[in-house]
Amino acid sequence: MLELVLSSVGCAALCYTLGRYNRALALQRWEFVLNAPEQRALQSLRQRLELDGALARQALEAAERARRAKRTPDAITVLRVALQVLEEAGADRLTRLRAMAVYSRMVQAIRPLPAPSPAPFRGAGLKASAAAAGLVHRLLVGTQERFRLWLVLLGLGVRIVLRGGRRAADAASREPERARPWAAFAEGLSDFEALDASHLAAFEALAASLSAIDRGGRLQLWERITGDTR
Amino acid sequence: MSELQLLVAHLVKLGLVALLTGMVVRGRLGLCWTFGLYVLAILVGNTLVTLAPQRFYTPSFWVLKQGVYDVLKMAIAIELTWRAFAAFPGAWRTARVVLLVLLVTGALFLAWLTPRSSFHTLAEWQPGVVTAAVWLLTATALLVVFYQVPIGDWQRAIMLGLAPYLLVFVTWLSLLRSYGWALRTEVSLIDALAYLGVVLFWARAAWRRDAPGFAAAPAQSPA
Repeated sequence: MLELVLSSVGCAALCYTLGRYNRALALQRWEFVLNAPEQRALQSLRQRLELDGALARQALEAAERARRAKRTPDAITVLRVALQVLEEAGADRLTRLRAMAVYSRMVQAIRPLPAPSPAPFRGAGLKASAAAAGLVHRLLVGTQERFRLWLVLLGLGVRIVLRGGRRAADAASREPERARPWAAFAEGLSDFEALDASHLAAFEALAASLSAIDRGGRLQLWERITGDTR
Repeated sequence: MSELQLLVAHLVKLGLVALLTGMVVRGRLGLCWTFGLYVLAILVGNTLVTLAPQRFYTPSFWVLKQGVYDVLKMAIAIELTWRAFAAFPGAWRTARVVLLVLLVTGALFLAWLTPRSSFHTLAEWQPGVVTAAVWLLTATALLVVFYQVPIGDWQRAIMLGLAPYLLVFVTWLSLLRSYGWALRTEVSLIDALAYLGVVLFWARAAWRRDAPGFAAAPAQSPA
């Protein structure tokens, strides 16, 4: 009976994973890994992160100006816009973090990142998560595991900031006169910018690791990938 | 052997010939040599049993051919893993450790927890061997997806055909263990029909023409 159960589980896992396996997508990913124009991709990501941060900050400042001018409905509307910007930026960050986790498994060695630290963050939840990740970082040995720990922390951080932003926006809608929700939103935005800085550093480390494969090695590997496995 | 069993065995034989021919014609033989050997071994075993049943449809021959098939199934799983990961040293290191752990666990399990292999005790030892083969294939599939290693359609078809059939085979053996030899003819027939289905699936995959070559994608993340 044990063999039947084990075989059923194994067979189901195999059919599920290979049934969903997409060779074209795997080849596309390797094509990207072996040919990614690192500097251009890095520059484009930096601009994207800066733009998102600037948009959210501008919206928050406009909301605070409206609040000081006693135009409460306008202030709440603009604060919601700031939250919307953060939500969209957060979804973009989470998608990229998932992709980076996939690519980090495809490269052989990753440039080491420093241990996570609570210092750049202001929110209590994020500070605690960063401190815990800093401890785990010391227990891990491989640079790949440490890199993936960073990705987990960044994903968690984005979720914490977004949840805090939603709560702060709701609280500000209910009691616009209270200063605390506004300060919490500004704190979240600051944490989001700190997370973006780490996001960029992680992307840079991954891009540098990809570029560490020499051109001849890349071509040879690509030939093996597309040739031998057909 | 009943007439129906004989008919299914002949159909399997035809399917195996079509499969081998397809592998040779489409150049798939060199993509997994041990699978070619396995198909050849099955074809020889099937031919001997169907053409000279009085000599080869015997318990001792069954144990002998099953031993050969088991060794070849393990070899297929190992060759598929090696072919998939040989170009990726980092992933290959992990794959080697996983294969070693599975092989050692399977060997220890078979050595200590199952009786000496014979036809009368096949329901006790054969499921363990088959389970080990299933998990070797499963580990390869999981590692392929985890490391995003590109494998060909043919290797995928081998794994997708072999694992479900092995599950049918384990079920057959479990029924044999639970209900005794009374159901042997009926269950053997179901097993043979399942194997015919797998052979036809492989033959179709073997004869399928390769998709056009992979066009270089623009260098932007496909994630």
